[in-house]
Amino acid sequence: MSMPTYTCPYCRIASDGSGTTCPHCGAATDIRARVTKSGWAEQPPIRDMARIRFNRSTCQISGKYVPVAEMKLDPQDTVYFSHHVLLHAEPSVQLNMMRMAGGWNRMLAGMPLRMMTASGPGHLAISADHPGETLAVPLPANHAIDVVEHRFLVATSNVGYRWENSGIWFATQNGDDQEYHYPLGPTMDLFSAQGGPGLLLLHGPGNTFIRDLRQGERILVQPGGLIWKDRSVRMHLHFEYPRGKYWFSSARWQAKSVWLVLQGPGRVAIQSVFEPPETAGSITNSSGATTQYW
Amino acid sequence: MDRIECQWCKAQNSPERTSCSTCGAPLDKKNLVSDSGWTEAPRLRDMTEFRFSNSTCQIEGEIVPVAELALAQGDSVFFEHHVMLWKEPGVPLSAMNTGGGARRMFGGMPHILSIAHGPGRIALSKDATGEVVVLPIHPSHEIDVREHAFLAGTHSLNYSFVRIKGLANVLHGGSGMYMDRFVTGGEQGLLLLHGYGNVFQKTLQQGEKILVEPGGFLYKDSSVQMNTVPQKFKTGMLGSHTMYLAEMTGPGRVGVQSMYVHHGSE
Repeated sequence: MSMPTYTCPYCRIASDGSGTTCPHCGAATDIRARVTKSGWAEQPPIRDMARIRFNRSTCQISGKYVPVAEMKLDPQDTVYFSHHVLLHAEPSVQLNMMRMAGGWNRMLAGMPLRMMTASGPGHLAISADHPGETLAVPLPANHAIDVVEHRFLVATSNVGYRWENSGIWFATQNGDDQEYHYPLGPTMDLFSAQGGPGLLLLHGPGNTFIRDLRQGERILVQPGGLIWKDRSVRMHLHFEYPRGKYWFSSARWQAKSVWLVLQGPGRVAIQSVFEPPETAGSITNSSGATTQYW
Repeated sequence: MDRIECQWCKAQNSPERTSCSTCGAPLDKKNLVSDSGWTEAPRLRDMTEFRFSNSTCQIEGEIVPVAELALAQGDSVFFEHHVMLWKEPGVPLSAMNTGGGARRMFGGMPHILSIAHGPGRIALSKDATGEVVVLPIHPSHEIDVREHAFLAGTHSLNYSFVRIKGLANVLHGGSGMYMDRFVTGGEQGLLLLHGYGNVFQKTLQQGEKILVEPGGFLYKDSSVQMNTVPQKFKTGMLGSHTMYLAEMTGPGRVGVQSMYVHHGSE
């Protein structure tokens, strides 16, 4: 048995380094890491036809524009996913439903009410149905991450899933209309590897960048740009008013930026495609937030 | 003299060529085939040119590709009129009546296709992100294509359409009510399709089956049988959920696209 000699800079899992891609996350091993001067590492897109190993099964990523994750499932392995991402399956694959708790709240949040499970043997293929990158996030045993809703593609059955309120919101008043905004969505998905390492595949529209935040280090990001973060990373909203505060006009009505503050320690991943939050009207209430008047 | 066989369309090419003269597929790259046998449709290089009859087709752009056709005298292509991007003023247009007018209109299909005649140039774009799939159709071959997926067909192709039979297929099939059918006569024809996202093709053996998300279906040889099959799932003591998938049974080729519209599959 070969000894691990290579540690992937992206998933941080050791392998023997014999292939051109990391067997755990699919990142190319024969390229130099691209890190910006500010510390963001560009997640290299998984090469066409690269294979990722998990449990006794493999996952092959094909296509560059709207990639497909094709899984060769061992009879003892099961994965789960939202049913609308299924592209094709061999008849030998056992498909079943996994019911989710909190149906009413999930429906209000626009989240799927049910997940589908697929058990081997056989091949099945999953597609996020949108341009972007497939991100493979191998989770070490007992490690958990928070994922922004609608980014989840598929996970191995030993990855536990639950969802909780994102806790990031603000309310605006525009005339008589009051509106509540959830820049991360009302809920966030929480995935944790239980009993052993697991594999989580996410979909990132655009390009993906990851970064390690040191203890107490802060960074402001567009709320819609966040893909996932370690559970140790804390977050809150930050409102910036570039024109300051004037006695004759409430700063609440002025141009403003809505940021998400991420505070280390831990890892965060962002995407280059995002929808800016709605900021029309005055902000009357919010989850815990800081404010800056310039 | 050695010839190079195109892995996508099997045409023979002279050794100095880097792309297939019949379908434009790169000849200096290996076919990408997944472990389960799905072949990725060749990503045509920007400005790749290939021939049909006495005319040429050049594919431009990679995100929303354009097919620019230089039509020779006596050659023509047909297409849905809304895919026309530009044309030279001297290129005559005529109309092909597809028949089944009211029913096709009801099914959201055009009942008139446009025909552009050479000589001259015309450019076609599906106006959507994805890739152009080039399928040379050999004599006496039949291919079925999901509605609205075809970009252009050459004059040697006969166009017809088949109504998808069965209430479940119509209501839950997700491929629409009709499939376009293209048949060649004596001369080889060329069919250009637009696939949303990436396109993959698999050749099914006799009796081999594969389940496909109906919205992901793009094309199939007419020898491949397509049926919509319900997948019933229990969701509790009394509850159940039904999902519909398209069951493809060989022999023949099946093409799927990785970006798709969900119709009745939910």
